[in-house]
Amino acid sequence: MASDTEEGSTRAPSAGRPRERTQRPQRSRYSRRRTRKKCAFCDDESLPIDYKKANSLQNYLTDRGKILPRRATGTCARHQRRIAVAIKRARHLALLPFTADHMRSG
Amino acid sequence: MPGYELVFIVQPEMEEESRDALVEKITATISNLDGQVHEVEPWGKRRLAYPIKKRREGFYFLMHTELPPSAVRSLERSLKLMEDVIRHLIVRKEETTTT
Repeated sequence: MASDTEEGSTRAPSAGRPRERTQRPQRSRYSRRRTRKKCAFCDDESLPIDYKKANSLQNYLTDRGKILPRRATGTCARHQRRIAVAIKRARHLALLPFTADHMRSG
Repeated sequence: MPGYELVFIVQPEMEEESRDALVEKITATISNLDGQVHEVEPWGKRRLAYPIKKRREGFYFLMHTELPPSAVRSLERSLKLMEDVIRHLIVRKEETTTT
């Protein structure tokens, strides 16, 4: 509790100053772009979404093995759904990891 | 009869002959269920993304098959009973889009 009030008191004077140090950290995980990226699969209909092609699905995973959200990849809702299904199938077949633990040891 | 893709992973310690015998056995199982195997694609030995049954590698096989839809469950059951098959997946084939 004591530390809480201390923190509050240190923040109080800085709040009077122009915000320079209180600036939010840069978006680290998924950088947002100004213009919306177009869905790669709508652009090129022939582009396959296939659970057997683990390498191309890898682009839609974070480095921890999570599925990237649409806002990070720019895929449309329909294709995002298909990607998600394909990734889950590939995980079942151990073509893709479920978590980063798998990547380190396996 | 709809087309199905069957992918299965065989445990890595298996000899080539017994592996071939196993593929043969699965093919026979499918034909016993009034299905057909059109093509077998062996992917060879691959590293698993995570261990399955303490194995870090496995032999992957992809089969393009046709099956009566009612036979899928019994094929799945017989695959589960094969101890050398450590993982399998049966997926309905789509003509236009691959989902």
